[in-house]
Amino acid sequence: MQGVLAVFRELDSAAHAIEELRKKKVGDLTVYSPTPRHELEEAVGSPSSPVRRFTLVGASLGVTFGYWIAVWTSEYWPLVTGGKAIASWIPYTIIGFEVMVLVGCLSTVFGMFYVSRIPRLTMTVGYDPRFSHGSFGVFVQTTPDKFQVAEEVLRRHGAQEVRGER
Amino acid sequence: MATIARPVPGTTTKRPNIASADVQLPAVKDYEQVDNEIIATMNPTAGWFAGLGAAIVMMLIGASAWVYQIYWGLGQAGYEPPVMWGVYIITFVFWVGIGHAGTLISAILYLFRAGFRTTIYRVSEAMTVFAVMTAGLFPIIHIGRPWKFFWLIPYPNWRLIWPNFKSPLVWDVFAISTYLTISTTFLYVGLIPDLAVLRDRETNPVRKRIFSILSLGWRNSDREWRHFARAYLFLAAFSTPLVLSVHSVVSFDFAMGLTPGWHASIFPPYFVAGAIFSGFAMVWTIVIPMRKWFGLKHYITLNHLDATAKVVLFVSLLVGSAYLIEFFIAWYSGVPAEIEYFYNRVFGQWWWAQWILLLCNMIFPLSLFSQKLRRNTTWLFILSIIINLGMWYERFDIVVPSLSHEFEPWQWDTYVPSWVDMCFLVGSFGWFFMWFLLFVKQLPVFALAEIKEIVPPQMRGGHGHDPHATESGGGHRGPVIAGGTH
Repeated sequence: MQGVLAVFRELDSAAHAIEELRKKKVGDLTVYSPTPRHELEEAVGSPSSPVRRFTLVGASLGVTFGYWIAVWTSEYWPLVTGGKAIASWIPYTIIGFEVMVLVGCLSTVFGMFYVSRIPRLTMTVGYDPRFSHGSFGVFVQTTPDKFQVAEEVLRRHGAQEVRGER
Repeated sequence: MATIARPVPGTTTKRPNIASADVQLPAVKDYEQVDNEIIATMNPTAGWFAGLGAAIVMMLIGASAWVYQIYWGLGQAGYEPPVMWGVYIITFVFWVGIGHAGTLISAILYLFRAGFRTTIYRVSEAMTVFAVMTAGLFPIIHIGRPWKFFWLIPYPNWRLIWPNFKSPLVWDVFAISTYLTISTTFLYVGLIPDLAVLRDRETNPVRKRIFSILSLGWRNSDREWRHFARAYLFLAAFSTPLVLSVHSVVSFDFAMGLTPGWHASIFPPYFVAGAIFSGFAMVWTIVIPMRKWFGLKHYITLNHLDATAKVVLFVSLLVGSAYLIEFFIAWYSGVPAEIEYFYNRVFGQWWWAQWILLLCNMIFPLSLFSQKLRRNTTWLFILSIIINLGMWYERFDIVVPSLSHEFEPWQWDTYVPSWVDMCFLVGSFGWFFMWFLLFVKQLPVFALAEIKEIVPPQMRGGHGHDPHATESGGGHRGPVIAGGTH
């Protein structure tokens, strides 16, 4: 992976640089910010997160398993009370609900990790500790022949520091 | 994830404009200040060591009582027929209730976009995890033979017999263990970006390595934030019904019984409201000294406390209404055992406990109708202790008067907690505060990334932070907050 990394102090400068880099199609962009900002999200124009699919699948599996385990164990060793159902769905809704929440939440977190590609063992190229502190960052992943174009755009929009990374 | 700060038109008023000022932190200039000031609170102090020492001593008192009880048996707990539930179950419900405010603040107030939650939610989430850990001990203590607790876990533990899924005890196991797992997950997921900040700023190689592992290689990239925000939203959306279900399930422990005073359909909402009430009180008990000792009055401002006071007042009115409805329904039902039970609770054998409850939970919180008192931190702290006391007595009034005054007069008796019971009660506070104090010096107790969300970023176009803003509120971004951070 190689490209150009820029550090910005101002949010609007970073957002404008991103917009221009996207127009010029210089390369793939990774944007860093100490906190999520809608301005950057809009400038990057990313699609919506697919995490919700993991949530749906996990919650569906959870509620199914919760009901199933309660019903199956009741049938497996019945505790027979005269006039009462052996498997009673009303109290089992508590089990179904709790397991739905449990598996739904855990699968959501798994989904977030999976699509965010974490855990990450190395920081790889294109990161600066200032991005977690107070600065915004733009990493343009591109070929060396486009480094100059990227650098020019980034500097023109007020980047505090621009450097090549490989 | 905090709500995005809305620009507030600058006005100068003598009285605080609370409606529009709840998310403002006028004395916080930039992102670096947030990191520097909050991370500085992680340095241990003599006062912290003293507090931790006291908590450990209290915890050891409880642990010693447990060893004593295991050796001599459950008879040491002050149980005497017909009262076979006592301090252990009361304290269990009390701590589960304390644990509810954390999820309310972090999840429900997040969904409602209540900005005042941002600076207090991490404290509340940590409080939730440790409170549920504390609560979880009490059913195990209460069963007398704690080494048999695994019989509650849903697997065929004895001759292929599974637990009875129609039993409220098993519902409790599912609800509490799910709640503990999800609360811990919620806390950890919210901590990941802050762990990355600690990783990037740490100079000690061992601690840096630990933070690197815990932060999972988080880099604050747009991809990570996008998925993080979506996952956080779903976690909040799941946690909201979960928090309502957990105390409903705890209330079923009582409401499924035919005992007078317990067999009531109002119990689930009544318990949930009570849990939120006590949880918010405990948040005050923790946050008010913390903002003073850590010098963070400009983060947890009077506006934030004022907003929480309004929630407490509202929930107090709900809880008070539930008390009155209980009395009314007992009278309206015409069931002699119910009428006799409530008369005995308010004017008979247990009048003193009932009146402690009514005074602490219904009368004193009415003071919060006064804006002056809502913004008086000393009074809020005192009131938090009063409410905590009142909520412990609420659970006492549910458990003891019912069991000591059931259907048959020849069964009626009294209940006196033993010294072992009291040691467990003290020990539970020691256990809770020991974990909490350890937490506050290892991890940031205020959410760095979320607080940055309500601090305006630097802008080239000049719409960022106003350098003239002061700690007492001011600048041109928001209204002047009179005494805003004291």
